[in-house]
Amino acid sequence: MGISRPSLGLYLTATYPSVRHFIEVLNGVRGLVDFLEIGIPTGNPKYDGPVIRVTHHGAELKGLEAVKVVDDYGRYSRVPVLMGYVADYVDSLNEAASVARSVNAVSILFPDLIFDYPELIDRYVEVMVSNGLRPSFFISSKTPYKLVKRLSEYNPLFIYLGLYAATGIKLPIYVEQNVTTIRGIIGDTFLVVGFAVNNPDMVKSLIKAGADGVVVGTAFIQRMSNLESALSLLKWLRGGLP
Amino acid sequence: MINVPTHWYNIAVDLPKPLPPPMDPYEGESRIALLNRIMPSELLHQEFTALQYVPIPEEVRDIYARLGRPTPLRRARGLERLIGNGVKIYYKFEGALPGGSHKLNTAVPQVYYAFRDGAKEVATETGAGQWGLAVSIAAALIGVKATVFMTKSSFMSKRQRVLFMRTYGATVYPSPSEVTKYGIEALKANPNHPGSLGLAISEAIDYTLQGEGRRYIPGSVLEFVLMHQTVIGQEAIEQIPEEPDLVVGCVGGGSNFAGLTYPFIGAKLRGEGFEGTRFLAVESKAAPKLTQGRYEYDFPDSGGLLPMIRMLTLGHNYVPPPSHAAGLRYHGAAPSLSLLVREGIVEARAYTQEEALEAGVMFARSEGIVPAPESSHAIRAVIDEARRMPKGSVILFNLSGHGLLDPDAYERVS
Repeated sequence: MGISRPSLGLYLTATYPSVRHFIEVLNGVRGLVDFLEIGIPTGNPKYDGPVIRVTHHGAELKGLEAVKVVDDYGRYSRVPVLMGYVADYVDSLNEAASVARSVNAVSILFPDLIFDYPELIDRYVEVMVSNGLRPSFFISSKTPYKLVKRLSEYNPLFIYLGLYAATGIKLPIYVEQNVTTIRGIIGDTFLVVGFAVNNPDMVKSLIKAGADGVVVGTAFIQRMSNLESALSLLKWLRGGLP
Repeated sequence: MINVPTHWYNIAVDLPKPLPPPMDPYEGESRIALLNRIMPSELLHQEFTALQYVPIPEEVRDIYARLGRPTPLRRARGLERLIGNGVKIYYKFEGALPGGSHKLNTAVPQVYYAFRDGAKEVATETGAGQWGLAVSIAAALIGVKATVFMTKSSFMSKRQRVLFMRTYGATVYPSPSEVTKYGIEALKANPNHPGSLGLAISEAIDYTLQGEGRRYIPGSVLEFVLMHQTVIGQEAIEQIPEEPDLVVGCVGGGSNFAGLTYPFIGAKLRGEGFEGTRFLAVESKAAPKLTQGRYEYDFPDSGGLLPMIRMLTLGHNYVPPPSHAAGLRYHGAAPSLSLLVREGIVEARAYTQEEALEAGVMFARSEGIVPAPESSHAIRAVIDEARRMPKGSVILFNLSGHGLLDPDAYERVS
């Protein structure tokens, strides 16, 4: 299964702020986003910014139990992806993959994989494939070119480029230049970008620079207490897609 | 005659493993977000750029040229004779720059970018004073005010550097100072606090946040600082007539070492030469992070104002004992250098200041240049290695600065 080009994705942390509200949001965003990233709540969301850290700590359920509350994410998105920290699953990658499959997710993205556990990359790919899932990889703008190229050769669902140093925190970085550079290395591999995406002009310029998909997380979560306002944000952002 | 390089080299994209991203601590406000308020914007872009080569603005290249770049690459024939076993020794002489050290290579672009952002003043820390002096020169040339927090032990012992920073128009405070809350707290805890680079960084950042139109600029550790220094190694590759077997530099935070070695290491990692070349980083036993540090996330400054970075560190509260090589009195090493040491691509060694200064005197008497106490650490390693290497071997090292403003160091040994 692939993601349509271009597309808008949404990040949510499972069961934040409660199981009920989380499911309400999932129902609400149906049709407004092309793919979903469901965060597996962790006690150590080290590479996330302050807003998403709060969602991990504030999720009603923790770990894989939180993602199990929905037995079929396929109801909400054609391409649901789980997102967790591999530090929590070094010894239980198969269990995580099995849960992902049971909720009809198509991949698990681990943002700490290449930084903290590069020696696990091959095993991760093997576990994904043997469970009928596809690998996906998170990279930063400073990821070595050789590694970026190698990741693209695993036939991943996508490569996710974090535009800034942490989720939700904008810095004066020429993100389009970085997107174009990475696009030049990975060929046709689907390129997802995210972090601090909050307006349609940004969506438009990122797609123009070479991204295939753009993910919104922090900006949506900040509006989640008013679902209508949060859904309006998604509609507004979709206006940036060509 | 070679030209001033047109680009800086970003080694991150050639490393064997990715650099772990910076990280916020779990308490307090986001330090990553704070960067927006304290640093010139272009520097933040460069810290996170995906480009392998970053263009140097023409205005910066012009100043580089006016100040004396390219710097000379010389053969240390006198030292070779003294060692007497036929090993050839070359050195890149960054002390030829007006500040007497390599620090101008990054001071100029950093002040330039601050000025371009509309800053009226730059604030920074300094250990021995080379960085503070370089910032003072760059600020004078570009037309902004400079304020420098200098570790107190150096402020007291390196009076000439304080004088010259002031000559260039800078304001210089001993750190801990009574100008910032971090200085006041440190003085309250220990009225005789000798200062540390980590504390001086916190003071400079706090000072930046206190006023309008100020920007903080760092002297080492951050990746863009190391990148600016790569003009040294790019020039050296063009200048050196033969492939070195060993390249050596001293390490405080890592900038002069990286400046000389990264273009060589990058070529080696890409399989474009220097396959047989070794790289040796030399630190002070007063701050032995490369040889005794832990590889973990830590703050670059003792106040914990900057984002945490993963590096070899002795802990951000570590206060190194006073040393004449004040530029090496720093608790951590830049993330890229830490990773290269961890991967075994760069070797590391620590010396006492006595061992280093003895080598400095040998160099002065054989080459006619008094080296900076920091650079003397590299020279110590060069001498020790040369004595063990076979005839015809080639060593290149970075003479990162001269020691003419360090008479206090040589008083004891000459």
